[in-house]
Amino acid sequence: MSNESSLRSRLFADYGMFFVLAVLASLFSFLTYKEQHPTGSDAGRQVAEIVEESREGPLHVMIVARGTAEDREFTSAAREGLASNGVTVVAVVNGEPRDVRLEVERLSEDGQSVDLIVANDVASRWTVYDRIPELKMTPRVTPRPYYGADFLKSSNLIGVANQTAIYAIIAIGMTMVIVTAGIDLSVGSLVALAAVSSALFIRESGGVDASSAVVIAGVIGGILLCCLLGAFNGVMVTVFQLPPFIVTLAMMMMASGLAFRLSSGRSIAELPESFFALGGGRLMGVPNPVWLMVGLYVVGHILMSRTVLGRYIYAIGGNEEAARLSGVPVKRTLLAVYTVCGALAGLGGVVLASQLEAGDPKFGDKYELHVIAAVVVGGTSLMGGQGKVLGTLIGAFIIAVIKNGMNLTNVDPFNQKIVLGGVLLLGVLIDTMKRRPEILTRLFSQRG
Amino acid sequence: MRRLDCCSLLLISLVWMGCGKGESSGPRGTDVGSTGESVTIKGTIGYSALTLTNPFFKVIADTMTEEALKHGYELIVVSGERDVKTQADQIDDFIVKGVAAIILNPCDSKSIGPAIKRANEKGIPVFTNDLAYDGKDAKVVCHVATDNLQGGRLAGDAMVLMLKETGGDVAVLHFPQAESCQLRVKGFTEKLAAHNAVDGNPQINIVSTLDGGGAREEGFTAAKDALGANQDLAAIFAINDPSAQGARAYLESVGKEDQVRIIGFDGFITGKQAILEGKIVCDPIQFPDQIGAITIEMIVKHFDGDDVEPEILIPSELYYKADAEADPALQQKE
Repeated sequence: MSNESSLRSRLFADYGMFFVLAVLASLFSFLTYKEQHPTGSDAGRQVAEIVEESREGPLHVMIVARGTAEDREFTSAAREGLASNGVTVVAVVNGEPRDVRLEVERLSEDGQSVDLIVANDVASRWTVYDRIPELKMTPRVTPRPYYGADFLKSSNLIGVANQTAIYAIIAIGMTMVIVTAGIDLSVGSLVALAAVSSALFIRESGGVDASSAVVIAGVIGGILLCCLLGAFNGVMVTVFQLPPFIVTLAMMMMASGLAFRLSSGRSIAELPESFFALGGGRLMGVPNPVWLMVGLYVVGHILMSRTVLGRYIYAIGGNEEAARLSGVPVKRTLLAVYTVCGALAGLGGVVLASQLEAGDPKFGDKYELHVIAAVVVGGTSLMGGQGKVLGTLIGAFIIAVIKNGMNLTNVDPFNQKIVLGGVLLLGVLIDTMKRRPEILTRLFSQRG
Repeated sequence: MRRLDCCSLLLISLVWMGCGKGESSGPRGTDVGSTGESVTIKGTIGYSALTLTNPFFKVIADTMTEEALKHGYELIVVSGERDVKTQADQIDDFIVKGVAAIILNPCDSKSIGPAIKRANEKGIPVFTNDLAYDGKDAKVVCHVATDNLQGGRLAGDAMVLMLKETGGDVAVLHFPQAESCQLRVKGFTEKLAAHNAVDGNPQINIVSTLDGGGAREEGFTAAKDALGANQDLAAIFAINDPSAQGARAYLESVGKEDQVRIIGFDGFITGKQAILEGKIVCDPIQFPDQIGAITIEMIVKHFDGDDVEPEILIPSELYYKADAEADPALQQKE
């Protein structure tokens, strides 16, 4: 085998999932390719030109669009364009269908007629015109549509990254735990607990008027609490040799119960604006949670591939006994891994609370399953010893892209669940086939 | 060789997924052809339900799909799965799709606010039904729900009718977290107080109010606690059918089902069945089909430029055994 082809096969084995992600992205770009309707100032100027091209005499025009910032740009550009061509603009409506009705009522009181309606696509589809006798026959002019994919809109791509950021952040810790052949079922409940405890602390020490110092203390406090509970999981697993599945299952119940107790089952929304910046703010147009995710993945990747701790983690997952005999500090490493996993779940919870502007004990429901799915689809083996942090990032994105794509293509919610289950199964299947190719060989040789 | 196998596996799965899409993506373009005649589509409406496993929301979803199509709108239904982040993500996806309007059953009355605000900023009108948004920052055009206060009053009337000759002790199985249930209990208590205020009337006293969790298991436990403290209990008012059925299960297990009679709430199919079997005396019932139909009506009114009331409450009605015997929905089941 030549050097080049061995490199290629290694790339495929390591990042085959990246190829899947690319295929999915193209698939959804294709499926969501449809007519797009422009708004904003360019569309406003364009529509003024369209009117000018077909105009045969003086015209009384009404311009209609919604009240959003973009739509206001559309109406003002259209008005300017029309006015410079000498067209009379009798009314401009920026608002709701109701405002159109009120405006027309006012115009007809003044005895003013409308020959033409200029609107963007959304406003032209309102049914209000059909209800008003004066407007029923009035022609409507809209900007020319263009073709494009909903999936590839920058707002959608950023949205997908933002939607997956919290799962992806928690999945870093989960990857480390699963590489050691363990599991952490408590992350979902820790998300709820961190969200509730941070929100509660901030509400009790000032509420809506809390200072930034209080907010920072609340954020750190929430993460620290989950860090401690993660360490507790670690102690149970290492010192008392309990199976991680049971320990973290117990923690899942306890943390959820605690979150409900602390909040009396209600959401805590009396929080200051400064708290919302962490999850809701943007830096250079990209939401903060996405930056946080990128930063943590860089750190996670270096930790797992370039440091002694990373090698210890893989060694324990490969063969715990062998690792112990060759001098790996197994207990300390495991303790660290569960602590990090708890802390990242806490961080996820605080970011979520900040994004949703409240802390609620119902947050984080079934997140452990979303996160484990991302790790497994990303190629980490549940048997331990194998897996990559960047693979998990790709796994998280595969799931997020499928969910987003299915929402954009109107897939029935029950079918969405079937597809997501199928993807998870496929992830595990590919992982197993990669490690045990003899199964496939046997299957095919029997038939042939 | 094995690389090839992996590739073919992937390919097959993707083709399968692609096919799934094709079938379910529904009408594309500008014409709706499913009813035979061609109607110009005026836009799509996105609906994120609290959950679709509860038949109540499934009825709302199905009614709205039908009604929306009649008016030339296509309804896209997704399920928030009771998780507010999932629901917020779905709202963002609706915004990307450029839907004409959004309908929600908020998975959390407060933390859904930021997502509604994002829809407001894009000029997309938001409607809620059954569950309301509780906050000031975001704007909901109209909320459609059952009149729970009036429903609670009906339950109170039914209780007075049942106990006016004898008087007696009553327990309430509450679910205090939900605002709807607070209204139901408020209406119920009002009617009992009005009865007790008349001189010479035998007194009907609420001797205990317990959290029945709105669920069967917790209703069972709450009924046990209520009866343990008050041996002479004459009746129970449960704020929904599952907790009423849990209470009934406990009463049957200790042979007290003839002493303590139960009034529930909701009137979903299992509750109606229980009324037919005489396990629950009566229910003020809700009408999910009306909730769905009126929500669509309000959206149509909004786009017609009419004034839309910010809140529309649909009155409840009492449903007794006689109603159950005449109910075609229950006849079909047998």
